[in-house]
Amino acid sequence: MKRIFLARRNAVLSAADISWGAYALVFALLFLLFRLLAPNLFWHALSPVFGGADALASNTRSFFASFENAATLAAQVDALREQNAALVALNQALAAKAAETATLPSMGIIAGVVARPPESPYDTLVVAAGTSAGVAAGQEVFGAGGVPLGVVSSVSADFSRVTLFSAPGMRVHGTVGSANTAVTLLGAGGGTFVATVSRLAAIAAGDNVFVGGPGALPVGTIRRVDSDPSSPAVTLQILPALSPFTINWVVLRDTGAAFLNTLRAATSTPL
Amino acid sequence: MIRLITLLLAFIATIYLPWPVAALLALLLAPFEPFAPLALGIFIDTLYYSSGTAGFPHFAFLGALVTALTLLVRTRLRAGIIR
Repeated sequence: MKRIFLARRNAVLSAADISWGAYALVFALLFLLFRLLAPNLFWHALSPVFGGADALASNTRSFFASFENAATLAAQVDALREQNAALVALNQALAAKAAETATLPSMGIIAGVVARPPESPYDTLVVAAGTSAGVAAGQEVFGAGGVPLGVVSSVSADFSRVTLFSAPGMRVHGTVGSANTAVTLLGAGGGTFVATVSRLAAIAAGDNVFVGGPGALPVGTIRRVDSDPSSPAVTLQILPALSPFTINWVVLRDTGAAFLNTLRAATSTPL
Repeated sequence: MIRLITLLLAFIATIYLPWPVAALLALLLAPFEPFAPLALGIFIDTLYYSSGTAGFPHFAFLGALVTALTLLVRTRLRAGIIR
């Protein structure tokens, strides 16, 4: 007589059902352990992978760009030719200036970006410069054109993690509009900010937003002004001056914090 | 095999594709591989979480939540007829 065996099955932990997920969990935990125990080695191992992701992203962009209108592309080529001629002249001037200033101390640490949004769900960058290059937590990070991007939040020997000013929870003080109205920019994620100002400030879409630094540094442009008739304030939706999705190089340097520390050491007056 | 391929795709998506793709794959996998969302959440936060960004690692937390919900549903839904 044929006997039928019914294996007792556990609804929660059935080997047949959860095996791959459990393996993945063990892998993720080992991965986490690797990062915690050897952060520098971790980023060394990961940077070629992120490099591949960058190459894929740029190839995808150029592939879709090739479908654009030919007339638009021709106009773009003309404009780029003119810009190229101007840049060649500027490059020659800058090369001469660089030769003169080569002996001066560096104004910052130049670092390549290893990982950036949107792959990163948080508004963070991983950059290829760490303590061995002189990077320290708290240094400010700038993009092309001196656009302030964020601050260094953690450092290993050869890599650093940068939290962008647009990360949720970040607050930056700045000014907006022709009257330089003071605003507090709140990170809204995805490179964007929001801010609230009085309705009387007469801020309009297209106005530039600046933050303090050596002069007023552009950080974004107002995309939309949300107004509620019952409120005396308006909410500004701000686009970044430099998209975090396309940043390849950044400059890291000490700004206010290092200056304040110097003052603390130099004076007994509480600051 | 489809589960394994989807799981691998989800891990690859965390690096090569925008994070919502990985999140979607994790949600799709959850009913079949309850621990996959937790594993992916930990993996994403291992790669990208920084203490300056958020108060706690959101993705590991959300992954744990989805995993816990999936396991809870599994204990409540008894598909078999033999008790």
